[in-house]
Amino acid sequence: MSRKISIDPITRLEGHGKIEIYLTDDGAVEETFFQIPELRGFERFVVGRPIEELPRIVTRICGVCPASHHMASAKAVDGCFGGEVAPLAHKLRDMYYQAHFIHSHLAHFYALAAPDFVLGPDADPSTRNILGVVHKVGLEIGGAVIDARGKAQEIQRIIGGRNTQDIWCLPGGVAKGLKPEELETIKPWIDGLYEFTQFSLQLFRDVVLADPAYVDLILHGPYTLDVHNMGVVDRDNAPNFYDGEVRVVDFDGDEICRYSAEQYADHVAEHVESWTYLKFPYLKQRGWKGFVEGIDTSLYCATPLARLNVADRMATPRATEAFEEMFATIGGHPSRAILANHWARLVEMVQNAETLQMYCADPEITGTEVRVVPQHVTGEGFGIIEAMRGTLTHHYTCDEKAICTSANLIVGTTNNNAPIQMVTKKVASSLIKPGTEPDQGILNMIEMAFRAFDPCYSCATHSLPGELPLEVRVHRSGEITHTFKRHC
Amino acid sequence: MTAQDGRRTLVVGMGNPILSDDAVGIRLARDIAARLGARDGVDVIEECCVGGLNLLDLVAGYDRLVVLDSIKTRDGRPGTWYRFDGRSLRETMNLANVHDTNLATALELGRQMGHHVPDDDENHIFAVEIADNMNFSEELSPQLREAYPGLAEEILAEVEDLLSGRGEGAGG
Repeated sequence: MSRKISIDPITRLEGHGKIEIYLTDDGAVEETFFQIPELRGFERFVVGRPIEELPRIVTRICGVCPASHHMASAKAVDGCFGGEVAPLAHKLRDMYYQAHFIHSHLAHFYALAAPDFVLGPDADPSTRNILGVVHKVGLEIGGAVIDARGKAQEIQRIIGGRNTQDIWCLPGGVAKGLKPEELETIKPWIDGLYEFTQFSLQLFRDVVLADPAYVDLILHGPYTLDVHNMGVVDRDNAPNFYDGEVRVVDFDGDEICRYSAEQYADHVAEHVESWTYLKFPYLKQRGWKGFVEGIDTSLYCATPLARLNVADRMATPRATEAFEEMFATIGGHPSRAILANHWARLVEMVQNAETLQMYCADPEITGTEVRVVPQHVTGEGFGIIEAMRGTLTHHYTCDEKAICTSANLIVGTTNNNAPIQMVTKKVASSLIKPGTEPDQGILNMIEMAFRAFDPCYSCATHSLPGELPLEVRVHRSGEITHTFKRHC
Repeated sequence: MTAQDGRRTLVVGMGNPILSDDAVGIRLARDIAARLGARDGVDVIEECCVGGLNLLDLVAGYDRLVVLDSIKTRDGRPGTWYRFDGRSLRETMNLANVHDTNLATALELGRQMGHHVPDDDENHIFAVEIADNMNFSEELSPQLREAYPGLAEEILAEVEDLLSGRGEGAGG
């Protein structure tokens, strides 16, 4: 009789997801299923509404990355009106978005990733949080994190008027420009953010790279996946978070395809499994081949590491130095080491800060020509950007009166759905073997796999509880023999 | 104690306005704002969708926090509501943020960093059991729509008592 282990995060808040781990008779992992209910009806909700309202509506899908949806939606709506956008508006949108990236990546690194490395994977769960990190590294660093996050958010607010529930982007541009006095206010903050990215990289070197056990954990063991990589790049194959073409590169570094936003449906399709509401995107021209690794797989990651894997270099000099250091340390480019996503976020933040500095030095950035008012409706638009958690696609159509007739979204986390399933199975298989009794350690080891992806189920599905309540139940011959719980 | 003592209160309606019952906290905050009118020392954020460290940014500087949010508990009956404080805090639907930290941790971090944030017994969370937060809609579910007038009146009365110093935890 097979055994079943359930990792159930729903004990306090009903209706979310769980992980089912099925064991063979001899106690090896046979299969795992990660199940999340999906939000329903967004496409129906927006059909019939004026298309220019969508950039404001989509920010309500998710409180975690509203700016990402706002930007992707704005670009899709631009397309519905012919695609002409004031050049300065593109710069300002990009500038705004770099700041959003910084505060999101900072929060993830210090609140979620750092506890694993600063405190260790085996740390007491009650201390494995940002408070534990601050206790270990000092109040001064904690204060610096809070300050840097706050400054990045304030930069967003100054540029775009708000830092959540954005209403700034309009068809053909943005609602306000950046005043010279506003630029002077944010300049020193941006320099400070750049310095903080350098500090964070040094912290990573000192705490993570100096410990051979951590390096071994990153490079070996279950936290590696032989799947391909997706990310948006510029013409020089450097990452671009706001605009560019999608590039897909296999795990040996060879380009599989490269496409513009309007071609996305030729390259990405979504597979459906009966046991989950979430879809599984795959490379359409390869066809669905199942949850398999290997050079012929049609699966890919769309993560910070994947973005760097598809890039030849970064778009800015100091970020390129950090990029080269990272890949030299983790065994070459591209990398299959899922946990290197945490380092990749730090590298991306360097590019974010340097890009902001570049815009501060741009004499045109305080101009006033921030919008080209659309003159006609063309009826279809595509918006692809890099959300913090992966490539984000919005595709809309509208009628001649600019009323929405259809909407399709492929969000960052959804791209990674299959890899998350697969790494969950790998980690479970590494911990649960015949003759080995599963213990509490399985909780954090599986959480570490999740955290590397920074999955966002607010829009892929719905928000999970903040500290991911987990319950592991081990079933043998129809009886529960072990129960492990956290945050529940 | 009232606002005349100089204490500052922040009332926050948490949720998503286009996700069916998830909007119940927002509706409550709007109703409270309408009932209170302009009141010294009381600020109302009618619509807030951020949790974790983002919420710390909003709360810093206030002496008291009142959160209105939704919750789903095992076998919960839609329309039932619960009240928690900082010492008996349970994570409601929108107070948590899977991408950084929960409210209690964020506030403790703020304290350690020297920010002025409400003490545990000055955090008042009102959470309404909901039926549907999975379907996009600007309408409440039928169950909650029916229950809303009654629960809103009860919660509004408690918040008014709290702000006037009569309610539990008003302290002083």
